[in-house]
Amino acid sequence: MTVTEPAIPAPDSAVPPAAAAAPPALAQSDRDPENRLRSLFDLGAMRLLAPPDDSGALAARGQIDGAPAVAFATDATRMGGAMGAEGCQRIVDAIDLAVRERIPVIGLWHSGGARLAEGVVALDAVGQVFAAMVRASGRVPQLSVVLGPAAGGAAYGPALTDIVVMSKEGRIFVTGPEVVRSVTGEQVDMERLGGVEPHGRRSGVVHVTTSTDADAIAKARAVAALLGDQGRFSPDDVSVESEEENLGSLLPQQANRAYDVKPLVGRLLDQADGENYVELHAKWAPNIVTALGRFAGRTVGVIANNPLRLGGCLDSISAEKAARFVRMCDSLGVPLVVVVDVPGYLPGVGQEWDGVVRRGAKLLHAFAEAVVPRVTLVTRKVYGGAYIAMNSRSLGATAVFAWPTAEVAVMGAAAAVNILYRKQLAARPAEERDALRAELVAEHERAAGGVNRALEIGVVDEIIKPMETRRRLAEALAAAPAARGAHTNIPL
Amino acid sequence: MAEEIRAEMVANVWKVVASAGDTVDDGDTLVILESMKMEIPVIVESAGVLKELAVHEGDVVQEGDLIAVIE
Repeated sequence: MTVTEPAIPAPDSAVPPAAAAAPPALAQSDRDPENRLRSLFDLGAMRLLAPPDDSGALAARGQIDGAPAVAFATDATRMGGAMGAEGCQRIVDAIDLAVRERIPVIGLWHSGGARLAEGVVALDAVGQVFAAMVRASGRVPQLSVVLGPAAGGAAYGPALTDIVVMSKEGRIFVTGPEVVRSVTGEQVDMERLGGVEPHGRRSGVVHVTTSTDADAIAKARAVAALLGDQGRFSPDDVSVESEEENLGSLLPQQANRAYDVKPLVGRLLDQADGENYVELHAKWAPNIVTALGRFAGRTVGVIANNPLRLGGCLDSISAEKAARFVRMCDSLGVPLVVVVDVPGYLPGVGQEWDGVVRRGAKLLHAFAEAVVPRVTLVTRKVYGGAYIAMNSRSLGATAVFAWPTAEVAVMGAAAAVNILYRKQLAARPAEERDALRAELVAEHERAAGGVNRALEIGVVDEIIKPMETRRRLAEALAAAPAARGAHTNIPL
Repeated sequence: MAEEIRAEMVANVWKVVASAGDTVDDGDTLVILESMKMEIPVIVESAGVLKELAVHEGDVVQEGDLIAVIE
């Protein structure tokens, strides 16, 4: 089932919004919830939903980069931000308001969890916050910014949302160092247990880490603007690049040399002052890049294999990371651009035992289910099972493009020949073997690999030059009907 | 603080580019591994001095093996 009209309306283009002024930066470790909220909204654009009190939470509405949004903050100045019935109700109301108005909701977290003094009443209230978040899931963008400890119940609040940003002072854990020490005997501090390093690199709980509170707020503003005001495709504004200097110049000369795909992602997207995209999960499963940016004037999600890490192989964790990103984008109506250069799935006992089949299936499921416009670009190669997983034609890609030098095959030609012609090769004297192998490889490339064969079969729709890539991708995305998956965004 | 750089996957050490004692910067290449028929550079993620280089050309590294220590 699909909803054909994106539920987040673009602002009426006939009335351009007044230029939004950025708010003053949040001072590091300023714990006042009102100051924290004010730093999130455009200058002078915040209105509190209720006056400050001792409920433990504060909520507000306003504009972020001109687009309306709702936000709430736990009050770190009262009982360390502990959550009671009254404060939780305020958070639930803020989320429900965002859902009614179909605008993003941002939570600023600094809380030790449920209020002990309120007992089970507080637990029930925290549970109602979770339920409100799940009701809103996939309907409006939900962001979390973790500025201090978010422990116990407060840990799962951010974890239920679409994107979690964490500042250097942020901590997320279910049980704190004291409990860990008393139960398991492990000595660990809060930062090592649940700081930016473990959650940015190891657990995948946090999507974006920053070194200051002000940077965390700035990232949340950037994401809220991208998801809250997605814009429209204008492919006519995308010019064809020059023959000498284009996207293709960013690939290394040798086909087997690894390279960082991020400059290519940056160049593919619309240029802006400063960073032109927000990368999610940059250090977790870095062999696949997931990023939000604007392309031909509209917000898109980019998924790209990164050959610099693990050779760009898909593995268990990267498949899961990409699957969650695909489902988030689909549920929020964000079209996808998939940049493919993948040698296959990473082989190994560790991978199989880690559930590469189960987690890899999530990526297949996510792509096959997605109804947003989604185009694929094969830059160098796509082999094996990874071919199917990376938004292939068979999984319903809107269009699959490939550069003229790309290779689409079950495996690399050299490897395939070694298996298919093992006996013939072994039968030859050693000195003739290399010549025969080269001959067979060339023959095999003609018959099975090579992009022309893929075009004949119809698994690649069109071979395009690197210089015209931006234009062709933009045209294909703009021509596809706007759609949005009717599902929630479970944190896979 | 010393930072250990470990192999992300099983690979052959194809080329050693840096040597112990070198001053290295974020993004510099230490060694180039060969795996999955690809040449994969091992990159420094923080500036410092290369205190120890634990591999030689031709070595086979397993996932998690120490490649270098940066200080």
